[in-house]
Amino acid sequence: MTQDLLSRPAEAGSPTIERADATASAARNRFGRLRRIRPVEAVSVLVLAFLVLASLAPTLFTAIGPFDTSPADAFRAPSLDHLFGTDQNGRDVFARVIHGSSTSLLIGISATALGVGLAVILGLIGGLGPKPVDFVVTRFLEVMFAFPSLLLGLIFITVFGSGIVTSTIAVGLATAPGYARIIRGQVLLARNSGYAEAAVALGRSRTRIIVRHVLPNVLGPLFVLVTLGLGQTIVWASSLSFLGLGAVPPAAEWGAMLASGRAYIANAWWLTVFPGLFIVLSAVAATALGRSIQQRGRES
Amino acid sequence: MSAFTKTTASIGAAALLIALAACSAEPASSSTDATPVSGGTLTFASGDAEPTCLDPAQSGNVPQALVSTQYIESLFYQSEDGEIEPWLASGWELSEDGLDYTITAQSGISFSDGTAFDAEAIKANIDYIRDPATKSSTGAYALAKVDSVEVTDNTTAVIHLTSPDSALLESLSQVWLPIQSPTALERGLEANCESPVGTGPFIVESWEKQSSITLVRNDDYTSPPPGASHTGPAYLDSIVWKFIPDDASRFAALQTGEVDVVDRVAPESLAALEAHSSLTFEGSSRPGYPESLVLNSTKAPFDDVKVREAFIRSLDIDAGLESVYFGSVDRSNSVLSTATKYGIETPDAYSTDVDKAKELLDEAGWTLGSDGIREKDGESLTVSFLINGDQVLAAQKALYEQFQASAKQVGIEVKLNSVDVATRYAQLAEWDYDIASAYYTKNSADVLRLIFDSANTELVGGYHSNTTGIADKDVDKLLRAAAESADEDERTDLYAEAQEIVAAGYYQVPIFDQQTRLGIKNTVVHGTRVIPALSLPTFYDSWLTR
Amino acid sequence: MTTAVISGGPVAIPRARTAGRRILSRVAGAIFVLWAVATISFFIIHVIPGDPALAIVGGAGSNVTQEVLEAARVEYGLDQPLWQQYIAQIGRLATLDLGTSYTLRTPVSDVIADHLPSTLILTVLSLTVAWILALALAIWVTRGGRIARVVGSTLEVVSAALPHFWIAAILVLVFAVSLRVLPATTAPGLPGVILPVVTLAIPLAGFLGQVMRESMLDALESPFVLSARARGESEFGVRWIHAIRHAALPGISLSGWAFGSLISGAVVVETIFAREGLGRSLLAAVIARDVPLVTGVLLTVAAVYIVVNILAEIAYVLVDPRTRVSS
Repeated sequence: MTQDLLSRPAEAGSPTIERADATASAARNRFGRLRRIRPVEAVSVLVLAFLVLASLAPTLFTAIGPFDTSPADAFRAPSLDHLFGTDQNGRDVFARVIHGSSTSLLIGISATALGVGLAVILGLIGGLGPKPVDFVVTRFLEVMFAFPSLLLGLIFITVFGSGIVTSTIAVGLATAPGYARIIRGQVLLARNSGYAEAAVALGRSRTRIIVRHVLPNVLGPLFVLVTLGLGQTIVWASSLSFLGLGAVPPAAEWGAMLASGRAYIANAWWLTVFPGLFIVLSAVAATALGRSIQQRGRES
Repeated sequence: MSAFTKTTASIGAAALLIALAACSAEPASSSTDATPVSGGTLTFASGDAEPTCLDPAQSGNVPQALVSTQYIESLFYQSEDGEIEPWLASGWELSEDGLDYTITAQSGISFSDGTAFDAEAIKANIDYIRDPATKSSTGAYALAKVDSVEVTDNTTAVIHLTSPDSALLESLSQVWLPIQSPTALERGLEANCESPVGTGPFIVESWEKQSSITLVRNDDYTSPPPGASHTGPAYLDSIVWKFIPDDASRFAALQTGEVDVVDRVAPESLAALEAHSSLTFEGSSRPGYPESLVLNSTKAPFDDVKVREAFIRSLDIDAGLESVYFGSVDRSNSVLSTATKYGIETPDAYSTDVDKAKELLDEAGWTLGSDGIREKDGESLTVSFLINGDQVLAAQKALYEQFQASAKQVGIEVKLNSVDVATRYAQLAEWDYDIASAYYTKNSADVLRLIFDSANTELVGGYHSNTTGIADKDVDKLLRAAAESADEDERTDLYAEAQEIVAAGYYQVPIFDQQTRLGIKNTVVHGTRVIPALSLPTFYDSWLTR
Repeated sequence: MTTAVISGGPVAIPRARTAGRRILSRVAGAIFVLWAVATISFFIIHVIPGDPALAIVGGAGSNVTQEVLEAARVEYGLDQPLWQQYIAQIGRLATLDLGTSYTLRTPVSDVIADHLPSTLILTVLSLTVAWILALALAIWVTRGGRIARVVGSTLEVVSAALPHFWIAAILVLVFAVSLRVLPATTAPGLPGVILPVVTLAIPLAGFLGQVMRESMLDALESPFVLSARARGESEFGVRWIHAIRHAALPGISLSGWAFGSLISGAVVVETIFAREGLGRSLLAAVIARDVPLVTGVLLTVAAVYIVVNILAEIAYVLVDPRTRVSS
């Protein structure tokens, strides 16, 4: 995720390399107009499409409700009747995982969006603002870093109560400082790059410089952060559930299912494996897709 | 396939084979010798929170009671039938007016620091518990009716009461009213928290906070409780008392042999426990008010008895216990534990009847809304259920979710409010809940006064033990009278009547008795018993084969 | 962390003057962070519901009388207005007096001294193991073909997406309960620390691996590697010396953040493995509203984080091939 962001600062501003890259990619483009789709890309798109469909229309995949409690059917192993088995309350795990897609993906996307959104604001303010402002922003970020993020989430939820909304905000807040630092770095890079300096010398307006030189440098890594962050945020939310705070029952949320299923890991493995699988699938698909898009961006 | 990949694959396959082989291997169980042998260290892992103070007179909760049972004893011993027997005290006499208890101290007993146990020690301890500076809660409350203690001779102490108290002897059988060395008490509260001195079979040697407590054998031990299987010093050299709060980890430690005995065995671990022939489960009911759901009758909607009854009737507790508790706990139909005298069962008050529930709600004016939740005057029938997020067993959480689902069937929306312990107490204190879970460990039917007497809706030290808000004059009268009566038959009738009224008011629904749930490595540890008063394990008779 | 680390290479300014100024600004920054952490932790505890005075008298469930509660409140100065309490707290901290824990009844500095080594061992070992795993995977992937790349990439993403409590549960089930080769809970010595370390290392390795692999791939294609090859250096030399150095840079600059995330992970891992440590102490202290202990532990964590950052900065400058004076 950070390969662009932290590893090639010197080269970004170096004219020789840019020209060489331009020639190479022009050559590729002439032959690559067909935009060959790699199998990894295709699979990730399919997986994400499936997850989005499951979020929007869960009843397409299962007729059983996620909250249909039936204590008499508790702890049934996966079978034809119950593809993913039943949980401690006799609820169908497959139904819960499918119906939980919308909740979990929402948490993942919202928390990431919140974190990245805050990060962009902080990063832009710090990177573009005058020195004193940057100083304050950097100090603020340092203080946030010095706080264990799980604790921030814990305290936030203790104050505002557990639930999906507070979990999302807690996780988003916890991830913001990390992203903010990276974005600020990118903004500074762009600001100090040869192109930006040239633009200033040429008398271009501040807004134009920001839009044409800073933002593109930020949006690229931003996208990667968002895709990588998806899995992370769902996992963070599940750690909060593990500590007893998080999505409120009977919410069918993958992370919460993972946390509550842990107690039964020795006698009902299906309670953790399937929600965990979906978390991992979302993370892998999002990351792979993000990487491919970034790869395409680099090639064009 | 590269060489690297090949190696990786074969390592993986080998690991899988080893794992499968090991899984099927059963640890051999050794034949146990009938004769106890002396020696060895027993490792015990508790699932309760670590106590903040090892002196059970200061504050007084279950974690403290669990560990101090090993090194502190009480004046009296309560048997399984609830009968009071002598222990440190050799006898007692109650005056005619019921206001004076004359207690005789057994002779020949000393504390582990050499101080003699006598009537002065009895007085010193009761004064200590009653002293506000000690910050005792459980003990002090139990001694609320005590006016003073008088020492008439070396072995006789007289406790003067302000009003008769039929529960006093029962209280004096609890380790929350401990008998500690007066010399030790004089060291000050902090020192007594670190290393209390009692007459028990073990002595506190060291306490590494957030790690473990080490207890060593008291070689001069001379006061075994009634029911003990031997006399003289304990068999064990020492006990390492650990704290492993995570249920799965604690049980895993038992399986691997890192610990010899664990408590709070989770229901989901029972199957694995029973599969191992080297592990034994020992469960016993604790006395007092069982694990229950209490309904806040001080505010809507549970201020309406019909709504309360409807909620209770919507629950299918039996199905819940069968599923998430794997049928390992018995349903309770009484507001008193099976281990406490004077309890009566009122199953009709708590039986499932979904149709009746719906009928009651209709009668109460709550009509079914389009979303399945009932409404009245623009308000929806939504109640909040206060849960202790970090201390409740997974099985309990699952049970509460089942209750939520069954309440929804009749149109009641239950919101589960899972908070940490401090927040929970803050909300309880402010009556900021509709449903809460509750229990109270006490070896006397007098616990009903704590739970159901209207006087206990008052906040005391940030807590009111009456969590239902019940304020019934008849119940108050019955319970207070029973607390003063020394006549068994009278007490039986009074308590029975009070329990009937409480049940008929649908203020709460008991689920199961609190339990001591021990997991024991039977190839290593033998002879573990519980002290019936609070059903707490004692390792006095335990011995090891390794 | 300052701009210098993110954007690479130091600026050509006379050394002596900037060195002094930089050290001064570092120290000032560090003090500011510590003060901010102390302030935030103080107000946080008083904002969350629950009475700190209850922690003093033995916990929320201790049922003491009202008089006892009030007496404790007065004794510990909790009845004073919040601002006064805050000033008093900062004053104490400025003299390095961390106070006494309400729940543990021991000086906070003792509690920290007892638990810090254990947590440090856990985090340092986890960071090391994560680094090794990530590096190994990165090297293996760049050696292998496209399949290795896909597998390695998937492994990294999957491990980064696994929660600690789940990994711990699986590891304990396999290695402790089934195979009986490692203890299920903490034990003195190396065996007792292996499972906790691996639990923390796996997700971090996944994350670091993703970061480092991309860097390594880029580094292998970039001009300076080409020129090294052109100079006739062996394949081995190119890969190991140049590429790893370059690839390691983002990993190093992320170490500060990684440490912070390990502390969060330590809270979960120490609880599961019943391991004494700052993470577990912190969680218990927050739950019990033990103000001095919460503040003390947070300050310690912040201080260690600052030290880790400084070390990472130094390491970055040392490892960065561009800052070498080339012959």
